Amino acid sequence: MNHAIALLLSVATAGPLLAQGPAADLLQGKLPADAAAQVRAIAAQATARALPATPLVEKALEGAAKGVAPARIVAAVQALADQLGSAAGAIHDAGVAIPDSASVEAGAFALNAGLDVRQIRALAQAAGIAGQRATALRVAGTLAALGVPPKQTVDLVTRSLDSTTDLNTLSGQVQAGMAHGQSAAAAAAAIGHGRPTTANPHRPATPRGGSRKP
Amino acid sequence: MREFHPLVKRWLDGELSADQLGAELAAELAEARALLAAVDRAPVAFDPKLDQRVMAAVRNRPATRWGRAVRWIGEAHELRLRVRPWAVAALAAAATLVLMFAPARQSRAPVAVAQAPESVYVKFVLYAPGAHQVSVAGTFNGWDAHATPLAPAGASGVWAATLSLPAGQHLYSFVVDGRRWVADPTAPGVDDGFGRRNSILAVTARGARVS
Repeated sequence: MNHAIALLLSVATAGPLLAQGPAADLLQGKLPADAAAQVRAIAAQATARALPATPLVEKALEGAAKGVAPARIVAAVQALADQLGSAAGAIHDAGVAIPDSASVEAGAFALNAGLDVRQIRALAQAAGIAGQRATALRVAGTLAALGVPPKQTVDLVTRSLDSTTDLNTLSGQVQAGMAHGQSAAAAAAAIGHGRPTTANPHRPATPRGGSRKP
Repeated sequence: MREFHPLVKRWLDGELSADQLGAELAAELAEARALLAAVDRAPVAFDPKLDQRVMAAVRNRPATRWGRAVRWIGEAHELRLRVRPWAVAALAAAATLVLMFAPARQSRAPVAVAQAPESVYVKFVLYAPGAHQVSVAGTFNGWDAHATPLAPAGASGVWAATLSLPAGQHLYSFVVDGRRWVADPTAPGVDDGFGRRNSILAVTARGARVS
């Protein structure tokens, strides 16, 4: 009995301690002490809820590098923690008892890109296994970031999960269609109907803007 | 016990012949010969059951606790089990129900499951005429604005750098002249939470993609 209590206590305290570990140490010197303490507290709370803490520390570092005011950094970190929690909840509701970190991070990314919690849950349910779940959510987020409407994004990714389509190629195909003058929705619809995404072959296939994609 | 002369002992050991012993040792030599003749040189026959008796004695010697445990594990033991038929039937029914209603494993082939942490070379390019310094910062370098500078391609205004990035999704942004954060205009972007946009790059084992 005593061993069981000790085990429970160690599990309960390990999370917050980890959140104050090496990743959180990166904040030293990058943020004012009080802001760093708030970020560490948010990360500790996230870890206690079995959410990944590393993205939160990275977000704080990003804000510091961009010269953002400390209060806004803390707010952004808290917003990301909320997104991670929402994503984890959606994946849990999809039947996953303990959502993995990669899927939770990908779910938060998809939420940030414009999908809602119900759509995250639907994608998590359709994807099934953990590795494909993270990929599906990440690809869906990227499609939404490209401008594909969220509902169409979910339909396209779900259909691709049921076929032999490589999920990782979807956003590239949409971009190819957009490079030829299609809207993101039209390019995604063309994939959905098995048509090539180069609807306007007379437009040059150079990317928009002044730089080339790596 | 009779103590022989050292020379007689050497004769007994076969080191000297009888001729080499002096006459004064003749009596002692005769006595030694008589002693040798008394030795029974008949072949010795062991009891055929001697081996079994020795082995039985070895087996019955007091063993250590560990030795007894090892021997017990290795030996065959009789196991008697008394069961009630209705209990066996109930157990079988329960096992059948568990097998019927246990969640089935997905048989769908994974697309990008647990890829090995491979690295892929990715070339970042930005057209920034008039810039004095361009770098790229992102999740791959801790958002360090000075860690990864791009090199100018002559006076064309094109800046480029090639990085080895691990497989996975990365967010990044260009930094022009050390203070202006510029999203990649050719890549999809997401809100960075600070009023700007981050560009998205996914690196797979087959190369960089925009998802």
